[in-house]
Amino acid sequence: MGGLQKKKFERGSATNYITRNRARKKLQLSLPDFRRLCILKGIYPHEPKHKKKVNKGSTAPRTFYLLKDIRFLLHEPIVGKFREYKIFVRKLKKAYGKTEWSAVERLRENKPTYKLDHIIKERYPTFIDALRDIDDALCMCFLFSTFARTGKCHVQTIQLCKRLTVEWMNYVITSRSLRKVFLSIKGIYYQAEVMGQLITWVVPYQFSHDHPVDVDYRVMATFTELYTTLLGFVNFRLYNSLNLVYPPKKLSALSASLARVVSSAEEEEAQLDHFPTEGEDMEKMEAREKELKQQEAQKKLFEGLKFYLNREVPRESLAFIIRCFGGQVSWDKSVCIGSTYEMTDETITHHIIDRPSVDKQYINRYYIQPQWVYDCVNAKVLLPVEDYFLGVTLPPHLSPFVEEKEGDYVPPEKLKIMALQRGEKTGNEQEEEEEEEEEEEEEEEQEEEEEDDNGDEEDDEEEVAEEKNLKKMEEQRSQGKVIFKVTPGKLKVENKARLEQEEKAEEKRLAIMMMKKKEKYLYDKIMFGKKRKVREANKLAAKRKAHDDAEKAKKKKARK
Amino acid sequence: MAAARRLKRVAVSQPGFLTLNPKVGPTDLVSSRRKRVNKNKKKNWNKYSDVQDVEEFLEDVRHQERTTGGLLSEKSDDSLFFLDVGQPKKVEEKEAAEPVKGKKRKGKSSRPLRIDLILQHDSRVAPPKDVLAYQKPNAKKLRRAAERAEKLAAKGVVPRSKKRLLNRPVVDRTSKKTETEANNNPERDFYDIWGQETKDLGEPWYLQQTRKKLVKRPEKLNEKPSVLPAVEVIAPGGSYNPDFFSHQELLREAHEVEVKKKKVEDKIERQLAYNKEDTATEETILREQVEGLVEESEEEEEKEDAPKEDGEEVAVGAIAVADKKTERQRKREKAEKMKEQQRLAERRQTEQQQQLFQLRSIKTSIKQQEEKTQVRQKRRKAKEEAQKAQPRRLGKLKFQPQDMEVQLSDELAGSLRQLKPEGSVLMDRFKSLQKRNLIEPRERAKFKRRLKVKYVEKRAFKEIS
Repeated sequence: MGGLQKKKFERGSATNYITRNRARKKLQLSLPDFRRLCILKGIYPHEPKHKKKVNKGSTAPRTFYLLKDIRFLLHEPIVGKFREYKIFVRKLKKAYGKTEWSAVERLRENKPTYKLDHIIKERYPTFIDALRDIDDALCMCFLFSTFARTGKCHVQTIQLCKRLTVEWMNYVITSRSLRKVFLSIKGIYYQAEVMGQLITWVVPYQFSHDHPVDVDYRVMATFTELYTTLLGFVNFRLYNSLNLVYPPKKLSALSASLARVVSSAEEEEAQLDHFPTEGEDMEKMEAREKELKQQEAQKKLFEGLKFYLNREVPRESLAFIIRCFGGQVSWDKSVCIGSTYEMTDETITHHIIDRPSVDKQYINRYYIQPQWVYDCVNAKVLLPVEDYFLGVTLPPHLSPFVEEKEGDYVPPEKLKIMALQRGEKTGNEQEEEEEEEEEEEEEEEQEEEEEDDNGDEEDDEEEVAEEKNLKKMEEQRSQGKVIFKVTPGKLKVENKARLEQEEKAEEKRLAIMMMKKKEKYLYDKIMFGKKRKVREANKLAAKRKAHDDAEKAKKKKARK
Repeated sequence: MAAARRLKRVAVSQPGFLTLNPKVGPTDLVSSRRKRVNKNKKKNWNKYSDVQDVEEFLEDVRHQERTTGGLLSEKSDDSLFFLDVGQPKKVEEKEAAEPVKGKKRKGKSSRPLRIDLILQHDSRVAPPKDVLAYQKPNAKKLRRAAERAEKLAAKGVVPRSKKRLLNRPVVDRTSKKTETEANNNPERDFYDIWGQETKDLGEPWYLQQTRKKLVKRPEKLNEKPSVLPAVEVIAPGGSYNPDFFSHQELLREAHEVEVKKKKVEDKIERQLAYNKEDTATEETILREQVEGLVEESEEEEEKEDAPKEDGEEVAVGAIAVADKKTERQRKREKAEKMKEQQRLAERRQTEQQQQLFQLRSIKTSIKQQEEKTQVRQKRRKAKEEAQKAQPRRLGKLKFQPQDMEVQLSDELAGSLRQLKPEGSVLMDRFKSLQKRNLIEPRERAKFKRRLKVKYVEKRAFKEIS
């Protein structure tokens, strides 16, 4: 008992935090400088768990930092540079005021600068750490590279951003690592797989800038300052990993391939290890192998195709994508430098155009709308070109970033693509079919309706979905073929399988019966949830069907 | 000096010596009458020895030296005298011509100014030499050191100071140049920052003390403040050419957001609403103005009466005092209290005893309690997990999500060419940074004018208007 009375707010969480203003005073920096320092060093404000304890009894909202973080900041050499810069500005102002131009010049020459290299090394100790955080850097650099020289940010920054982004795109082209593209109303989303990391970034459309007023440009510029440094170092490392010369020369057009350090660097095809690791099943191995094969195929998607871009399509984005998958691309000379062949070239296979009609058409090339390229990339196969011809209403552009779970509603367009992916052989037939389809639309519709009615009654939902696909995608003839093939010898096998299935079902039923009351309750709940999902998906599918029918009817009326 | 003086004395004592001062003759040097004084005291030396003649003589010598640059007696005759042959004619002519010329070149006077002539140094005696200028302190020591150094150099031994200069690390001029390069220079070059090993410039203790080694970054700082991804891809309905249903879904979401906003606004409006009948009309305003002017006397009287009565009643109630308890009453109360306490203690004991038989129910209740706490813990943990993805409250303002980017069905473009981009990527990035707790939401600082602006009409403008 006894002793001195404990004072309030002298221990515990009150001593772990520091308010922003106090931190600023401790570092002897102005608020903008302090904010800059925090961004560069990666020190963020922290919300305390018990604000009242930290804020000395007051509940007023305030910005808090952890005291240890601020103590760490005290050791940063850049802090000194900030102070020097402050003095520099003061001297410069004075010299200006006195119109001492020689002094101004001398001061300008000795302007204090700082480097962020050590901060990059400190924040990202390994290259992989840096790659994991590159999303932000890419977004910011791509964004700043589209800025006009309006004085919102420094011209040099814009130029640096441009250079870095072009370097990055060239790396992606050379390594063929682009995976997904998505044209949204906001901008274009890209996803690439670099060294096993999935990297997503968004690029604004060209000429779409109305500068929002409530964005703090100073903060954004600070982030960009850090991220340009980061991206530069990452680019260097990536170029080195492919034996490419860094910095590359003459890049801006995206049409030339990069110079290699070792000239005879052929594409080595990475062979997957064939001995499975202990824990892995053979099935998994196979799946992985299949995936890898698919990826390889996707990388060579546009190989051998020759594209020509009309002047109204987004050139940079399309050139980037086409070159990412091995296609050749060119454009009009007057649009941009770097065009490799002219429109009159007879070997052009695809002419990408975004206007209702053209006067002079070459017979040996497809005139298609730009969406085809994007959809092909996402589908990982060359889609039939008929849906993308001039003046044709385009099929919807689906987001490749959505991954449907079992039982979710899947739009029919996606089902179509999935079917195409599975049966790649039928690609040619498919085109013919669709031509026929256009003619025989009405008949098929009726048939489809009937079939769908039958299908709904069946129990297993997956089968229904698959059958639907088959019925929609493949003609009945092909189905018939399958049946013919099956009949001679494989009946027994099917029987076995069925027997097994039955046994399994029986076991399951028994297991359910043996369940405890509690578990049973949970199980029922889960099953109910699944069923509900399926029901909703069905509802949506039916709705879609009704919608499509209505549309078709409209079209028919319009035609008549 | 002393030698020179002696020489002068000797010269003076010669019979042919001429003095400039005619009064002082060589015979006066020896006085006729002599006072008898003790000469063994220094005081007397000064007092009674007559040095007037010597002084005068020396003064004369100095005078000669000053004006002629030496003793006249030593000079040759040629330098002292010249033959007077009258004035040459040419000079006269010149003098006659001079005034004309002098008038002509009035501007540049070749003659020095009189003031300068007065101030000129007119002594013929050369200034004494500054001896100190020729003397070196420690000359001997330095000479010896130089000799030693020469000897060592001949042997090939390099002195320590030179050795240190030679051994100092080479300053890389190029690195200095890159230091002054701006951070956003578009031509800047990069290098393999992760590949190279950091060079050890010295022992760690030295580096640490001189702040050349950076402090290690705490591990905790590498954790991200939010679990959200850097880039959140827009919903499938945000495609430029969306699937019908996903578009509808997105529209519905946007609609819900709008409805919520509207609800909040409506609520505020409702709270701010007032009864329309309460507004002031002309009649009520007039009544208010006249209030108290008409029939005031009656009302006042009534009012004055009322509070008095109230006051009296209150006073009576307040002063009510309880009666004092008697001794007996106190004792009884105490006994009752004791009894009550005893009763309660007994009861507690019996209850405890009874609990032995209730063990089972107690166990179950404990179990129930534990289960309850477990459930609560789980719930709390789930809540914490959910909170991790939420933006925190980091400052005065709460995080405000940006408006959803949505295009209505009739706004959708048929082709990529006709697409009108919605929203701004810049705003999206900025909000994403806020959402991930990297920066605190903040309002733009308002511009505050410190001094009042004074409007003055210019004169030119005034004339017109």
